[in-house]
Amino acid sequence: MLRDAVLVAGKDLRIEIRSRVGLNQIGPFAIAVLLLFGLALGPDRRVLAPASAGLFWVAVLLSTLLAVQRSYAIESADAARDGLRLSGLDPAGIFLGKASAVAAQLLVLEAGLTVGVTLLYGAHLSGALVLVAACAAGTLGLAAVGTLYGVVASGLRTRETLLPLLFLPVVAPVLLAATKAWDAALAGTPSHAGGWLDVLVVFAVLYIAIGTVAFGPLLEDG
Amino acid sequence: MNGYVEAGYVVVLGTLGTYGVALAARERVARRRLGTASSAAPTGTSAKADFPAQAGEASAVEHRAVEETEPGSGP
Amino acid sequence: MSTPARVLPQDRPAALRVLGATALVGVVATVWLGLFVTPPDQFMGNLVRLLYIHPPMAWVAFLAYGVATLASLLYLWPRTRAEHFDRLAGASAEVGVVFTGLTLVSGSIWGRPTWGAWWVWDPLLTTTALLFVLYLGYLALRRVPGEFHVRARRSAMAALIAFVDVPIVYFSVEWWRSLHQAPTVLNPTTHKTYVHGSMFWTLLLGFVSFTLVYIWLMAHRYRLARLQDLEDVEGLEVALEERRAEGDAG
Repeated sequence: MLRDAVLVAGKDLRIEIRSRVGLNQIGPFAIAVLLLFGLALGPDRRVLAPASAGLFWVAVLLSTLLAVQRSYAIESADAARDGLRLSGLDPAGIFLGKASAVAAQLLVLEAGLTVGVTLLYGAHLSGALVLVAACAAGTLGLAAVGTLYGVVASGLRTRETLLPLLFLPVVAPVLLAATKAWDAALAGTPSHAGGWLDVLVVFAVLYIAIGTVAFGPLLEDG
Repeated sequence: MNGYVEAGYVVVLGTLGTYGVALAARERVARRRLGTASSAAPTGTSAKADFPAQAGEASAVEHRAVEETEPGSGP
Repeated sequence: MSTPARVLPQDRPAALRVLGATALVGVVATVWLGLFVTPPDQFMGNLVRLLYIHPPMAWVAFLAYGVATLASLLYLWPRTRAEHFDRLAGASAEVGVVFTGLTLVSGSIWGRPTWGAWWVWDPLLTTTALLFVLYLGYLALRRVPGEFHVRARRSAMAALIAFVDVPIVYFSVEWWRSLHQAPTVLNPTTHKTYVHGSMFWTLLLGFVSFTLVYIWLMAHRYRLARLQDLEDVEGLEVALEERRAEGDAG
């Protein structure tokens, strides 16, 4: 299962590195979102800096949608999805592979966004350990739910509109917990983040578990 | 009393009433369409009529699968 | 043989009619007791009368989602897989969404004079709002056409994925709020402890009546779904007949 996961993740990441869709489209999209938040809230850093954790995570959430759609778009061409289905790879492995490829891209994006909120919103970075831990756990949860709903929606005619509707309400706890953890870290009180990190870890573990079980049947159906 | 209480009751009862009436109406329309569809449809010309009436929907679905795979039924 | 190979659900079976009449009488009695018989509250005055409809809405909403989840599980479980569980899940979720919407609206109407705002970020209210969009998504997914069993399995899985989220949402939202402010705002639900006498019986009647309304609505939604499925099958057969007639003619 793990070998299959590495195989699929390697394949997805290789495609991304060669096509550069993530770099050329999702990255700029996230920057545009950051700029728009700045415009919406005004230029006052006393407003922007305290909000930067929440704005960062909303930008991540929206980018996750794009990354997941991209992850399934590469399977829709040339009936690659059927190839995946018939490849004999363990479905749980496919799920873990696709989810970790999405997570890897998101982590790169988050590094860029961190620089963005520092420069644009004047967020003062502190509590690096908590920041990184929240990113790791939160991103895994987002990638797991995204990959799971991605396969539900992929192949449906209304997938572009359906995926956000299915995905966003479910990841509300991730937004909440990750924002709170970041708030605590940025405020210089990283010890307050402990419980929120737990929420992120529980969420990620739960949905990775569901994904490994449910992905097979869902892939068959599409 | 004040407007809020009345508004609450009106909204709740009104919505539930409308929803219930709409459901009943849709059910009636669907039933009528099914009734006319079955009398207008050619009957007795295919294997479908040979199913016992009490076989119900399960056999109808099975039957549909059979017809779908039947060769030569396409254009 | 001229009888088609199907059985239409019986046109308004007696049990359902009795249920509907009972529910109607119950609701009318609740409204009468709630608006005219029960006394006004010493703190909230007449606003307390919303107590007889708002909590029952919320209860039915959660009950409906519980039923939808259970039906989805039974559909996924190979031994109990049957079409009626899929229809039950869909019917219950749809009625649940209606009641969730009413929970939010009636809560908001109650909140305006009580809290001074149409909306407060109360944990239960926020969770309910998220549930509302969560299940709207589920219903949207159900509406995507497709082969019955594919659609049913997809929907059942989506229902479970969504349901697992509910406790996490509730827990995190509650924690989020409790860190912000003292949770001792004037909250309509805390007044439940002062409910007594005719108020208690009216509230109980409200719970029972609206639960009956839920069952009645769900039964009709279920029957509608069954008719629509029959129609799909029949439409296909009619189309096949026409094709075959064309083939014979040509």
